[in-house]
Amino acid sequence: MGKSRRSSAEVDKLDKKFLKEATANGYIEGTSDKDDRFQSSDSVDLSENEKSQGSPYDSGEDNQDDRFQSTDPVNFSEDEKSQGSPYDSGEDDQDDRFQTSDSVDLLEDEKSQGSPYDSREDDQDASDYENHGTMEESDSSEDEVPSRNTVGDVPLEWYKEEEHIGYDIAGKKIKKQARKDRIESFLAGVDDAKNWRKIYDEYNDEEVELTKEEVKMIHRMLRGKTPHAGVDPYAPYVDWFEWEDKGHPLSNAPEPKRRFIPSKWEQKKVVRYIRAIRKGFIKFDKPKEEPHVYLLWGNDSSVTENKRHGLSYIPPPKSKLAGHEESYNPSAEFIPTQEEINSYQLMFEEDRPKFIPRRFESLRNVPAYENALKETFDRCLDLYLCPRTRKKRINIDPESLKPKLPSQKDLRPYPSTCYLEYIGHTSPVKTISIEISGQWMASGSSDGTVRVWEIETTRCIKVWDVGEPVNHIVWNPLPELPILSISVGYDVLILDTGLGNAENQARVKELLHVEESKLEEDEGNTTPVVRWVRDDKYDGIRLKHCKVVTKIDWHRKGDYFATVVPSGDSRAILIHQLSKKHTQNPFKKLHGLPIAAVFHPTRSIFFISTKNHVRVYDLLKQKLVKKLETGLREVSSIAIHPAGDNVIVGSKEGKMCWFDMDLSSKPYRTLKTHPKDITNVTFHRLYPLFASSSEDCTAYVFHGTVYSDLNQNPLIVPLEILRGHNSSNDRGVLDCKFHPRQPWLFTAGADSVIKLYCH
Amino acid sequence: MEFGLGSGGGGGGGGDESARRVQVRFTTKLGPPLRVPSASLAVPSNLTRMGLSEIVNLLLKNVNDEHKVQPFDFLIVGELVRLPLEDFLLAKGISAEKVLEIEYIKAIAPRKQPNPSLHDDWVSSVDGSNPSYILTGCYDGIARLWKGGAECTHKLAGHTGAITSAVIINGKDDSKHTFHIATGSKDRSLRLWKVLLSTNFDGIDYSEQPVNVRESKILQGHTASVQSVSSDPSGDMICSGSWDGTIKLWEVKNSDADGDSVSIKKRRLISNTANQVESQLEVEGVAVTTFVGHSQSVSSVIWPEHETIYSASWDHSIRQWDVETGKDTWNMASCKMCGKVLNCLDVGGESSALIAAGGSDPVLRVWDPRKPGSLAPVFQFSSHSSWITACKWHRKSWFHLLSASYDGKVMLWDLRTAWPLAIIDSHKDKVLCADWWKDDSIISGGADSKLLVCSGVSI
Repeated sequence: MGKSRRSSAEVDKLDKKFLKEATANGYIEGTSDKDDRFQSSDSVDLSENEKSQGSPYDSGEDNQDDRFQSTDPVNFSEDEKSQGSPYDSGEDDQDDRFQTSDSVDLLEDEKSQGSPYDSREDDQDASDYENHGTMEESDSSEDEVPSRNTVGDVPLEWYKEEEHIGYDIAGKKIKKQARKDRIESFLAGVDDAKNWRKIYDEYNDEEVELTKEEVKMIHRMLRGKTPHAGVDPYAPYVDWFEWEDKGHPLSNAPEPKRRFIPSKWEQKKVVRYIRAIRKGFIKFDKPKEEPHVYLLWGNDSSVTENKRHGLSYIPPPKSKLAGHEESYNPSAEFIPTQEEINSYQLMFEEDRPKFIPRRFESLRNVPAYENALKETFDRCLDLYLCPRTRKKRINIDPESLKPKLPSQKDLRPYPSTCYLEYIGHTSPVKTISIEISGQWMASGSSDGTVRVWEIETTRCIKVWDVGEPVNHIVWNPLPELPILSISVGYDVLILDTGLGNAENQARVKELLHVEESKLEEDEGNTTPVVRWVRDDKYDGIRLKHCKVVTKIDWHRKGDYFATVVPSGDSRAILIHQLSKKHTQNPFKKLHGLPIAAVFHPTRSIFFISTKNHVRVYDLLKQKLVKKLETGLREVSSIAIHPAGDNVIVGSKEGKMCWFDMDLSSKPYRTLKTHPKDITNVTFHRLYPLFASSSEDCTAYVFHGTVYSDLNQNPLIVPLEILRGHNSSNDRGVLDCKFHPRQPWLFTAGADSVIKLYCH
Repeated sequence: MEFGLGSGGGGGGGGDESARRVQVRFTTKLGPPLRVPSASLAVPSNLTRMGLSEIVNLLLKNVNDEHKVQPFDFLIVGELVRLPLEDFLLAKGISAEKVLEIEYIKAIAPRKQPNPSLHDDWVSSVDGSNPSYILTGCYDGIARLWKGGAECTHKLAGHTGAITSAVIINGKDDSKHTFHIATGSKDRSLRLWKVLLSTNFDGIDYSEQPVNVRESKILQGHTASVQSVSSDPSGDMICSGSWDGTIKLWEVKNSDADGDSVSIKKRRLISNTANQVESQLEVEGVAVTTFVGHSQSVSSVIWPEHETIYSASWDHSIRQWDVETGKDTWNMASCKMCGKVLNCLDVGGESSALIAAGGSDPVLRVWDPRKPGSLAPVFQFSSHSSWITACKWHRKSWFHLLSASYDGKVMLWDLRTAWPLAIIDSHKDKVLCADWWKDDSIISGGADSKLLVCSGVSI
């Protein structure tokens, strides 16, 4: 109950009864207030109420009224100030002082209040005045004097060298005032009688003149008395409240129930609002109403944004504005000569200028424009009849749409120029194969011969006449076994080239020796899939298949090889073992026509390409690992990257697909390069190159880097189109193979020439 | 002294009055009958080589009436003139104000041999180190000795594969009557031959029927075909480069003074196969050392000095080997050089230090290994249109080298100009080998089975 206490403290000269009345009033007022509040808002909790009750500002008005009654007008201004000050305690002190001060003191106060105006100059600002005032009010506290300097409690020697003594409240430097020298200060002291009252304030760097009261205060303090004379240290204690019969708090009424339960009416109101909001009766963000005016002569482009024409308003094209030549009196350069006018007649009517400038003496002489009506009509027709469409133009630099590719220079070496030709075949060369050491090349042609060439000198060192067109020819991948496997019609021939040294040659001989007795034994059991027969003519082995063999592929270890018999039904893909002269048929059920079968370059994985799919089998586990969907109409060839995770597939529609096996079973990239069938695709063993050959007499060379980082996709860059072969019977390049060690590409053409493209 | 071209005008526009004139003085290192007075002349600046040649011939005729007109070549500040004088000076930044010193030398005009010596198969190698005999290796596995480049006197038959390389080991000395010859073949072996040269009186017999010579020693050891053979300057050792990437060193010992190792070998052979060896006169030898380093076929080896062997390989590198240690002392890392397969190599030129090599492109490159920090070729000659198969420095001249290419041409190069001095275009097919002979002839063999001799290349 601060309010009542305070009012009682202020009014000191009233007798007890009056005081009682006052407190009773206040009490009654307080309760009534409280009731009002309770009625208005139930949800506000009790403690808050109490707080607001206790705060001095709530009842400020009452206080003032009280003061008007009790104090004289001089003190009033002071009170107002003290009210503004945040310190309640200070106020109380002051009040205490007033309690005891007599009229003399009051006078003194008056004087002291007036004194600053006397002593100080006019230019001193209000803050100074305020400082002084508060200083006067509070007798002891230094805190209330806001000093100019804000450096805080630091040794002042720190600022000895500086030009400033510190900073004001705004952070600006406070300059040191000019110091008087000794004589001057002495003279000033002699001249000025009040000089003894002046004190130098080091902290703020100013001289402070003590007032009489202050001096008096100091004197009193020196004598060990209270600073103010009016303080009575032995005032009798007055107990303002009669506590003896007040056994209960002021109000003992229990808290009403409504204060604890939610208001029903409020709830109803809220529900009503919610419904209104949901139904859209109440809208929060009302759109601002725009003024229905627009710039009549403004730019047309802004009109397009204007919605008054509906959804797709397209502004009409503007007619050309009149220029100098349309003037009634144009300058001479605009007026055409007679020859020019005559020449207009020779022009097409559309090109002819519509208006021929003429010169008139004055505006009065200008005749009416004879075409005015016609042209206006034409213009109206144009606007009305010509459909206007909006062209959406996107400003994209076409260069920026190109993928960023490394320059071809950085991707060197790659085959680019044809230097050597291997001439000797008389019919289209259908297949070529390079020996692993890169010294020899074998080629098979439809003229029924197999030739072995020396790559370096293009010399043909061996010719075998096998009688039938050669379908496919492959060297054994082992350098010490220079054996050729040749598919001729229904047979696969395994021949010794005789290119190895004596030691290897003996081994080859041994390998190519077939025991006839064992064969007969096999025949006895069932009809074998393939018959291994000794070929006397060429001193090799002949594997007799049931249908035409199109492709052969050796396993990397040079013992197993696979043959593809597309029309062989359940015997389409056969795997043969050379050392045991044994044939297996692990793929009895095949979906679709097999095109090619390839061994994985490092692991025991086997790829079988049918017309539309590539199936990947694990040979150890004997199951299907993956099925690559090419999306091509007819696959013609397949090649495995030497690292084994990427496959390229060429198709008869001229497309080439690059599969990243880790990525997906869909092509990573499809390259549509050749206008005609792709006959073969191949990877280089060492360099990041791959190539495709096609019936359109070209071979394409690509760069294809496969990164060991799995996050990085392969980089494919087309490098070079190799031309040079001639078309024969509408066939072009029939085969392409890379040199195993050099970045060279061999191409076999239907023009019966094999070409070597070097870097 | 003013000089205008009279009637010829071969230089092109000599009679044009408005043409600028250049003060020139002709100098030469040729002998006195071909020396012109050393007075300076003013000649039209648009003269070509032909015009200059005409002037010199005219001057010589003034001095000496019996002088026969012959073409000359002209050198200005060490560069051969191949452009009109004006353009040449402009291109080289030479001032036309001063008196120009023009040195003239005899122009090279190769004369072709009318009837080339025909072989049975491709001629894969020629050696012209002996002034009276030419050694050729052929794809039929027979090496032949041609006396005077025209008649075959000896046939060295024995190889079972094509001969890739044949050298006369002690061919520099003409006085000896015995040739030691080494041949490398695609049958993975090297063979040493000893040819006794007959005296003149029974030469007639040889011309009708070449003498068949058997090898004196078979050197086995390479696991793939031998690509190149070279002998050391003293003739005691030979080295061979092979397709298997190794270089092997072999000792050459005369059969009458067999070394210990060979004789032991011989004895062992005898003990092993009893009687047969007696009939065969074959002696087998093994390699003294093997240099391993090249990763691909060693296509060419050269042994110019006693301690060093140079080798070129299909792995795009040229290496220099120290014979004593067997280490490659210097290695031109491939990709920086040219990145091309190298087919041939020769060392010569200025103080026998420049390396010329050609390979799987039509550019003949010359490197200077003494130049520090740079592996860029010093010279590049690119007039061929196909692979280069052979390159040889002239034995005496610092500037001249020849190259043979699959395009069927043999070109003669001078370091002082970027154009070929002469192009010999008489082969019908690939030229596989070429060499100098007698310092003034070029011999070449090719896939048309011909051995061509072009004389008149006096340097």
